[in-house]
Amino acid sequence: MNEYAIETKNLKISYGDNEVIKGVDLKVLKNVVFALMGPSGCGKSTMLRAFNRLLELNKDAVVEGEVLLFGENIYSPDIDPIEVRRDVGMVFQYPNPFPHLTIYDNVAIGLKLNKLAKNKRELDERVRWALEKAALWDEVKDRMGDYPSDLSGGQKQRLVVARALAMKPKVLLMDEPTANIDPVGTKKIEELLFELKEDYTIILVTHSPAQAARVSDCVGFLYLGELIEVGSTKDIFEKPKNELTEQYVTGELV
Amino acid sequence: MAQKISEKVSEILGKIKTCMGFQKKGNKVDSFKLITSPAVLFVLALFAGMLIVYFYNAMPAFNREGLSVYLKDVWRAVENPSEEYYGLASAIWGSIYTSMIAILVALPLSIAYSIFVVDYAPKRIKNTLIITSDVMAGLPTIIYGIWGAFVLVPFLKDYVMTPLHRYLSFIPIFSYPPITGFSYFSAGILLGIMVTPFASAIIREAYQMTPFAYREAAFSVGMTRYEATKVMLGYIKPAMFSGVILAFGRAIGETVAVSLVIGNTFNLSANLFAPGYTISSLIANQFGNAFIYSHMLPVLYAAGLALFFIGLLVNSAGLYLLRRWEKNVSI
Repeated sequence: MNEYAIETKNLKISYGDNEVIKGVDLKVLKNVVFALMGPSGCGKSTMLRAFNRLLELNKDAVVEGEVLLFGENIYSPDIDPIEVRRDVGMVFQYPNPFPHLTIYDNVAIGLKLNKLAKNKRELDERVRWALEKAALWDEVKDRMGDYPSDLSGGQKQRLVVARALAMKPKVLLMDEPTANIDPVGTKKIEELLFELKEDYTIILVTHSPAQAARVSDCVGFLYLGELIEVGSTKDIFEKPKNELTEQYVTGELV
Repeated sequence: MAQKISEKVSEILGKIKTCMGFQKKGNKVDSFKLITSPAVLFVLALFAGMLIVYFYNAMPAFNREGLSVYLKDVWRAVENPSEEYYGLASAIWGSIYTSMIAILVALPLSIAYSIFVVDYAPKRIKNTLIITSDVMAGLPTIIYGIWGAFVLVPFLKDYVMTPLHRYLSFIPIFSYPPITGFSYFSAGILLGIMVTPFASAIIREAYQMTPFAYREAAFSVGMTRYEATKVMLGYIKPAMFSGVILAFGRAIGETVAVSLVIGNTFNLSANLFAPGYTISSLIANQFGNAFIYSHMLPVLYAAGLALFFIGLLVNSAGLYLLRRWEKNVSI
């Protein structure tokens, strides 16, 4: 088995003539929380969406180069993007559970459609397992048939985490998962990251250096489509090699 | 004295203005509001006036026959006024029956059309498609009527109704022999085609409004395009429902085109291929006779009143549901 969960080779992404990721080489170890940080509009979210081929929903986006998932190029022609997305879960910037599905169905839908559970009992167990993993089970176990509209922002986001975990992915992508929830919810999500990295590789996009410092093991600093510096969180925050990185982590570069 | 009166008058006028919202206390008169508000009042007055006129003119029919004018299936227009009897049941049935057929035709067409326009159509032809369907929604209905009578009905008769009747006539709804082709079925299909652009406009707008975040969510858990589309359609279900209701409201009020293809016969039958009447085609066809027979006009007013209420109910329900859904579209 490959030691890297995600590896990119000269990854370039452009929308029409506008190149937003300009040739990135990145290696992400297994079972770590990797924070991809950088100011708004530097291409973090775009790059993240290349890791599960979700970028293809946007017809203008063009991806060049390679993205290896445990050593396998997910952009090779014989790979089905749907298979990739089953292995790479995603949590979004806005908590987006399906509002017209019940809490139970929100978690179960991927399993149902991909026929990952043999029977109702197995489905129930998997849903419960995912909700427990997402630290939401105790709060929703008595109202699985309710719609998610009554949940708080933080709870919704953990429901989305459960929806992703239910598929038993290998990698979990998180696109600024705490950008739109309150501090208590943020804390819970951050605590969750520590637990989840036992089993998963987590790539966390954040525009907050403070959050990256709090939760990550390794950090990559992305600026204007270029990967400026990568290293362990300790190194990046204590002795950054690049001047831009230093400016960013000290809050001078916005 | 004169000054006192004029002061009093301006005080009263001021009060009126304040209570009607033209002038906030101590502020200047909002003259634009003052100019435009008669239009609103006019619309409301017209609405109320229409209702009153219909009620008033339908009263003789209610006095003579009671509410059974809506429940009986008779149409006895004879020269001796004491033997005249009218019942609107077959026309009401025809209206509802044909409109339901129309919905069954329009709903799948509109959904398919909306999905194609939003998800699949290349940008270049997307706008052309949207404009075309919007134009079709606004075409004068007589255009559909002529086309329906001379093209659609013969086609349906030869290639749909006759084979269905030949092989499946043991099923009651296919048992009536399609001799002319003018029937509930033809009217329903034509209405379905006519309201499709209208229903698809509502469904298309709703489908386009589904937040991108939900699409991403659907694909992110490994859904295929088909599965993701199904989930998104589930999300816009309330909008589809109101689209259907509003399309039903359109279909039930449609007059000219239906009159040309339904066969205009008093009939209360579930037989798809039987000719019939709808409320509006009945009014249009019997309007001339109402001057000859003494008790017919109030009955036509009563028919109009029924249509009025059905339309009011259906349209307000549809609009209400649509507004409520639109308000909830957010993350």
